Amino acid sequence: MSILFTFAWRNLWRNRRRTLITVSSVLFTYLLAVALLSFMGGFQQQMTESLIRQETGYLQIQDALYLDEPSMDHIFDHGEEVSDVLEKFGDKIDFTVPRIRGFSLAAKGMTTRPAMVAGIVPEKEDKLREISSHVTKGKMFSPGDDFAVVAAGLAELLDISVGDTLVLIGQGFQAVSATGKFPVGGIVELNLPEPDNTKVYLPLERAQWYFDAGNRLTNLLIMPHDTKRISQLATEMEENLDREWYAVRTWKEIVPDMVELMEMQRLVYSLITWVFYIIVGFGIFGTILTMLYERMREFGILLSLGMKRRQLALVTLVETVSIGLMGVAAGIVAGIPLILILIRFPIRFSGEMAAYMHDFGMEAVFTFSMSPGLFINQGFIVFGITLLIGVYSMRKIFAMNVLDAARS
Amino acid sequence: MKTVIKTQGLSKTYTNTAVPVEALKDISLEFKEGEFTAIVGPSGSGKTTFLNVIGGLDKPTKGNVIIDDVDIASMKESQLFDFRLKHIGFVFQAYNLIPVLTATENVSFIMLLQKRPKEEMNKRAKEMLEQVGLGDKLDVRPNKLSGGQQQRVAVARALASRPDFVLADEPTANLDTESAFNLLDIMARLNREENITLIFSTHDQRVIDRARRVIKLVDGAVDKDETFDRD
Repeated sequence: MSILFTFAWRNLWRNRRRTLITVSSVLFTYLLAVALLSFMGGFQQQMTESLIRQETGYLQIQDALYLDEPSMDHIFDHGEEVSDVLEKFGDKIDFTVPRIRGFSLAAKGMTTRPAMVAGIVPEKEDKLREISSHVTKGKMFSPGDDFAVVAAGLAELLDISVGDTLVLIGQGFQAVSATGKFPVGGIVELNLPEPDNTKVYLPLERAQWYFDAGNRLTNLLIMPHDTKRISQLATEMEENLDREWYAVRTWKEIVPDMVELMEMQRLVYSLITWVFYIIVGFGIFGTILTMLYERMREFGILLSLGMKRRQLALVTLVETVSIGLMGVAAGIVAGIPLILILIRFPIRFSGEMAAYMHDFGMEAVFTFSMSPGLFINQGFIVFGITLLIGVYSMRKIFAMNVLDAARS
Repeated sequence: MKTVIKTQGLSKTYTNTAVPVEALKDISLEFKEGEFTAIVGPSGSGKTTFLNVIGGLDKPTKGNVIIDDVDIASMKESQLFDFRLKHIGFVFQAYNLIPVLTATENVSFIMLLQKRPKEEMNKRAKEMLEQVGLGDKLDVRPNKLSGGQQQRVAVARALASRPDFVLADEPTANLDTESAFNLLDIMARLNREENITLIFSTHDQRVIDRARRVIKLVDGAVDKDETFDRD
């Protein structure tokens, strides 16, 4: 058996340059695919992180019906039952962020605009997204303060500024009319267009008063220590709550559209890598076919001498798979340091692209991610392609007419 | 002397041509152990076809090829692979050594496929290469050997596994006179010493002059079958 491998190995190096070119094409395709998928992983990680920090947290306690019908009718009591659960799972939770929010009309003088009124605790929000640092005029409220902080876009639409009075009219808990007059104490720059044109922040207690919600919340964001096991934590927490009233949702359940979008992205990137692989696959296929056809006579002779078809087929399979494996091995050797360098020194954007990314609350850098799976999966794909090509060359051997081949 | 090969009413017609070609016509011959036979005849007389058929590389249209009491004409392809491996040695006109293997590995190759013990294999390969005068080229690859030397390696390969008979298709056709005589000397000596039946297809007079039996084919049929005392 070992001579067959020796035979295959030496055959590979009969035309050193051709083999090296083929191995290099596998190497570069592998590297390109790994880099592309690593970038996609990094980008999605960045996007997810941004979404979680800006909007959803990893987990949320909500009213059981809030996800399907997010209105003031489905807010939950932040009372003893919830506190008990938070205490019980305290060792798994880093921090929580309470929020109450609902649509209202915001007015100044004769101008009225739709607004998303959010009751928040700034110290807790700051742990999540440093919202206080985005206040561009005035200041963020502190405990005991009684003023509103308006998003910059909305402030511009209403022509309102620090010191003016904002009138809010909306619907509170159980269809109660919510009305309130709040002095504007700060303007906050939110970057993302939609919240920037609609957000009005109130201290949590004042918002609960405005919505006549008592101590109720629309969402309690939970940031766990272990972000990889959030589904398990959600299930465990939910088991300790009355499911008729409460639900613990993961961020993926809260924003399924985003998850779908990310799946789409993943699909597009996978398709691109497959295009690379198909191109390189044809390259390997061409090389193997050439290697096969230029040795037809030799194969015929070997079969004449008594070598079995399966032995010869094994030799050609080993040759093909070796090309793939050498390319992948070189790809791994070159790819790991490359990705590590890209992670350590990410590519930074400037200009319009940077502004665009900032608008979406993301840092203006090309981030990369690395997981062993990335290298292994791509390795398996290349291995699969070469195996497929190897099977084709094996079929050729099995279908070959010995005498015709020997005479060729 | 034991009969090594016996053909009975052997015919071969190629039908994949515009007009069917009768390459062999009713050939009945016997080859004894230790014979040194030359199959001669003009081009297209059926020499190579005859060797291919008795070598199990091609199937006759009619007739039998009895080797070791078995009709190889009725064997399946997989059985023929094994049969060729165990019973027949081949020497080709174009040497056909495996370019990526050394002389020793080339000679060992058949024994390796036969799964002979490594030590025996190496010893025999070395011994055969020494017998063909290439004891100093054991680890040399074919591209570093002359045509004559390559053909000597091919002869060593064919004989190393001690087959029942060796079929050589125009083995001297690509060799200069000196190399051809050298090769023929070696083959004649090995034929005597190893008592292996040698059957050549040739139209090289140098081979014909060494053969103890000369069979002349004309248009696929036996025209003459003569025996000579060369010793």
